[in-house]
Amino acid sequence: MIDDDRLQHLLRSAFPPIADQEPSRDLWPLVVNQIRAPMKRLWLDISLAAVIAILLMMFPEWLSLLAYHL
Amino acid sequence: MPDELERDLLSLFVQGDLDAFESLFKQFQVDVYRWAVRIVRDPSTAEDVLVEAFWRAYRGRGQFDPSRSFGAWMRRIATNVARDHLKATRPRAGWSATDDEIPAPASSDCDLGEAVALAFRKLPPKLQVVATLALIEEQPYAEIADVLDLPIGTIKSRVFRAVRALRKELARLGIQP
Repeated sequence: MIDDDRLQHLLRSAFPPIADQEPSRDLWPLVVNQIRAPMKRLWLDISLAAVIAILLMMFPEWLSLLAYHL
Repeated sequence: MPDELERDLLSLFVQGDLDAFESLFKQFQVDVYRWAVRIVRDPSTAEDVLVEAFWRAYRGRGQFDPSRSFGAWMRRIATNVARDHLKATRPRAGWSATDDEIPAPASSDCDLGEAVALAFRKLPPKLQVVATLALIEEQPYAEIADVLDLPIGTIKSRVFRAVRALRKELARLGIQP
């Protein structure tokens, strides 16, 4: 049976303490990209919906075609 | 407890002000990064955890109380992100293993270290996080409890369960140093 101290010593040997470090580069741009990505997707979705709505207003007969495919 | 200037900054952040959030990011990124690297044990992964944690913080800014510590809140989010990472990269979901995964009985400290590392990575992530902070990083139980927003009794119980599971796994690997 391994006692607690021995087990802790083994763990600390297997995973040596990590010295205080800092990120290797400026990560703020990545955070901003993550924040803005869903917004971009949202605008893409809205644009697509608008195009479809306009097309359906111009060509109402396409509605049945669209409904058939849905 | 944040001072008045910081409270203003935090209020702006809660309202979604990106400049205020950038100021907070610059102020707390190193602390959050160091916390993350202690859990995931890899600098590059800790950078991913940092980005994901700040993104989640911005997304959940409405739930933040500006009278509370932003640093403690960020550490909690980073811990959750790090735990998700451990879950995704865990060697196996269960504790069973096929014979070809069982290493030969350890003959040296080097082999023993590898076996301990392997057994440790197989721990369920919530036990692994607590065991890393308590046993490897030697953080006080009270601080771990504060960051994870759990009672100290739960932290002690998780450390106990982690040690018991490690012993069991090492015994299964035939290691009795």
